Amino acid sequence: MSGARTACVMACVAASWFLSGCQEREGPVWESAPPGAGKATIDSATAAVNATREPGVLGSVQAAPVAGWSGPGGRAFEVDLRTASSETGPSRKFGTITLPIALRNHAASLSQYPCTSCHAGRAIVMTEKRIGDAHQNIKPVHPKQTGAECATCHAAENVAQLALVNGKRATMDESYRLCGQCHFSQVNAWAGGGHGKRLDGWQGRRIVMACTDCHDPHDPAVKPRIPFRAPQILRTRRPDDEH
Amino acid sequence: MEHLKPFLLNGFRAATTGGRRYHVWMGSLTAIMLVGAYAYWQQFQYGLGVTGMSDHVSWGLYISNFTFLVGLAAAAMMLVMPAYVLEDVDFGKAVLIAEGVAVGALLMCLAFVVVDIGNPLAGWHLMPVIGHLNWPRSLLAWDVLVLNGYLALNLLIPAYILYHHYTGRAPEKRKYLPWIYLAVMWAVSIHLVTAFLLAGLPARPFWNTALLGPRFLASAFTAGPAFVIVLLWFVRKETNYPISDGAFSKLALITTVAAQINLVMLLSELFFEFYWPTHHGISAKYLFFGIGSHRKLVPWIWTAISLNVLATGSLMIHPLRRNPKFLMPACVTLFVAIWIEKGMGLVIPGFIPSPLGEIVEYTPSWVELCVTAGIWAMGLFVLTALVRVALPIELGEVRSPLLDLDPGKRIVRPRTTRPRYEDVRPVRTR
Amino acid sequence: MSTERDGAPPAPGGKNTVLQKSVDRRAALSLLLGGAVAGAQALGACAPVSAETDEEKELKLLAWREYIKGNYRYMTEEERAETIARLERLAKLKRGLDVTIQDTGPQPGVLYGYAFNISRCKGFRSCVEACINENNLDRRAATQYIRIFEMRDGEVDLELGDATFQREVPAEGHFYLGTQCFQCDDPPCTRVCPVGATWREEDGIVVIDYDWCIGCRYCMAACPYWARRFNWSEPDVPAQDVNPNQHYLGNRARKKGVVEKCHFCIHRTRQGRLPACAEACPTGARVFGNLLDPDSEIRWVLANKKVFRLKEDLKTEPKFWYFSD
Repeated sequence: MSGARTACVMACVAASWFLSGCQEREGPVWESAPPGAGKATIDSATAAVNATREPGVLGSVQAAPVAGWSGPGGRAFEVDLRTASSETGPSRKFGTITLPIALRNHAASLSQYPCTSCHAGRAIVMTEKRIGDAHQNIKPVHPKQTGAECATCHAAENVAQLALVNGKRATMDESYRLCGQCHFSQVNAWAGGGHGKRLDGWQGRRIVMACTDCHDPHDPAVKPRIPFRAPQILRTRRPDDEH
Repeated sequence: MEHLKPFLLNGFRAATTGGRRYHVWMGSLTAIMLVGAYAYWQQFQYGLGVTGMSDHVSWGLYISNFTFLVGLAAAAMMLVMPAYVLEDVDFGKAVLIAEGVAVGALLMCLAFVVVDIGNPLAGWHLMPVIGHLNWPRSLLAWDVLVLNGYLALNLLIPAYILYHHYTGRAPEKRKYLPWIYLAVMWAVSIHLVTAFLLAGLPARPFWNTALLGPRFLASAFTAGPAFVIVLLWFVRKETNYPISDGAFSKLALITTVAAQINLVMLLSELFFEFYWPTHHGISAKYLFFGIGSHRKLVPWIWTAISLNVLATGSLMIHPLRRNPKFLMPACVTLFVAIWIEKGMGLVIPGFIPSPLGEIVEYTPSWVELCVTAGIWAMGLFVLTALVRVALPIELGEVRSPLLDLDPGKRIVRPRTTRPRYEDVRPVRTR
Repeated sequence: MSTERDGAPPAPGGKNTVLQKSVDRRAALSLLLGGAVAGAQALGACAPVSAETDEEKELKLLAWREYIKGNYRYMTEEERAETIARLERLAKLKRGLDVTIQDTGPQPGVLYGYAFNISRCKGFRSCVEACINENNLDRRAATQYIRIFEMRDGEVDLELGDATFQREVPAEGHFYLGTQCFQCDDPPCTRVCPVGATWREEDGIVVIDYDWCIGCRYCMAACPYWARRFNWSEPDVPAQDVNPNQHYLGNRARKKGVVEKCHFCIHRTRQGRLPACAEACPTGARVFGNLLDPDSEIRWVLANKKVFRLKEDLKTEPKFWYFSD
């Protein structure tokens, strides 16, 4: 029961964020403990060591670790750390990891996570018509562009996993493995640092997010918006002038 | 040095006494200075936002005038060299007046710099020991040193000579001549430094040309002697101080030649910018032809060029140059033309468009106009006062009263080999 | 006074008239009281006027000490600590703000570099907004360190760009390119400053000592990238919007008549954080890091992407590169 309650609270928080894309200036803000938060907190150095030794080890670290800082954007936040997978994963050299990258735990931000709460482990029929029944928030823009069907990317036998072209399966946290099948140059740039954002500072261990933390997988393009105000040229003014 | 106090007191008295026209002149200048002071007070209180300057056009009327006036100050030295070094008879009498012009112009330059900086109370930061002067890397630091040095030279050398005349002694050549040599070279350097200040900025292709320094010198030696000619004509008319025709003709010749060189340089610039227009010439395009709807400076520059050509052309005709009825208006016209071309026509286009291509035009505000007028009035005030003090001493009308207490002391004639002016030319006592 | 009660009339004139005047008790009391009041007033008038409160006196003293201080670059550690304490105290006295002004020096082995992805920038100007909030920029003059240019596809000439767009972005057929101070390695601005109020720090940031600047604006004329801004009037930031985490060479309160510019959020970057613009960008178009760290993102971008800088022919060596996907 507490798990469901946690998931419901998470849904409220994460739904708004997931739908609006990653537009916060600071890192993700967790209103309550993320899933798996019962685990012991380890420091970033230990996590780094663990990450290189055992792929997929979870721990949580404090990001933005500036002691005594208390100002705009200075909140420390927790991220679950994972290593990037070594299989068709992001790397400096093809196929091997040379720098551990800490990924944000994405799965828990899905609005209707965990999938097994509805899809109790059995295979489902995935047609576009059926999407509207339960996933009204999905607009299949990208599938239409690519000619993909639901089964192209989602594993029919276990909807909590993603289906790769070579038949293997990836978790929801490893969206880069799926997206990288086509968008390999973006994923390469993401691994090196030329694509996407960092969650902490510029120093030390990189804490990044996977593709679907910024891009809605079904409608990935960045939406247009009205920009912040244009520059103005003000001259001949006195302190009491309005502009 | 016991004559110093009467020297200063006499000087003060000479500067403050005069006929009705003198007082009207000085009074009007004072009134303009007070208006300028009020305008500056507004600027001091509210910041430079009350001017027409912006982040795009960050230098305006003040630095335009500064640039022009440095040239005016430098040109005074054109007279000094022939007068003291070559002992030219014609220039001998006129040189102190020219040095008065230099002092007035320099004080105006310093005043324009002070009103232009945003934090004038921090001006002491420029001083070498108590502040930090970024010399030799910053051209502005060079400018601070050379302008103040030049001011000191132009105050102390004439003071030395006047003081000696005042006390009935001859100034010693070996004492002041080396400083004269230094001052002549210094004059060229102050204007070159100001030119390099602008020319050394690769961010501003309109100024970043090797020709800027020579153009500055040419236009300085046009406008400077032109001003001195008009001033000497006034002196000749209003006082009985002898200015020879030779002084006028020589100065007019210098002005004319310099004006011709200036026009040749202008032609060179026009060819360079417009034969094959590039990116870097866009500021020149703005100045001469405008960019789109931005055309504020176009009428100004063409007026300046027309006046320049007209004045230079008329000065090139010998009979016209020799006739004061044509010479004086031509000099005034030339002065105004150079003021426009070298002031607003040089400094403002350097900022338009900005280094990122944005066009923001500039119009001086009333504050700037009043402060500028006030500073010009101050310069003319100082010049008038200095001339008013110097002339009677040079004419021998004023001597130290202390001299009379010692009747045994002979009033010595100046020990020079040059002939006395009165033996060579008749004195005009109109 | 009257001596009628005594009966004997006073002798006319002379000291006797004064010294031997006799007064009755009522008159004496009124005389005494009147004298006391008059005397107190006289004393009060003679005493030094201390209408100033202690706070005002302290304010004046602090302002004077701030006025006579020297160039920050050449101050001793002690003088720096003193001026920072004074500035924090002045902020408290003048506006009631509690600010922390750092004087963190450059980290060894660090040289900051910045890369801007012109394919990713959509012209949202989130960076501009973040910069204004983070760096206490003048709200009245609407100062902006960052300028985003809308460029037509196919043209890279910045002079043809338009920074005044105010409509839905990204616009079809256009791309976006942002400028700010590029923290040149050979900056023309630091060379021309007559008082040495601006200099390049060891970690590459070009900084300004606002209290030493005289406001001559020569650096603004010298900058080829139009990076510097001048305070044409007293800057105004509402007290609730002031960012209290400040750095002496960065986002502390400036005054009218001095120059300011982007300083790569020196109060953040020297603590290991990203500048506000890089953190705020929603599309991840901004990459920031240490050029001397071979594993940094900025080095990856320089090694793997086609990068260019603005006005490279001027040899200013800006540390801000542009690249595209």
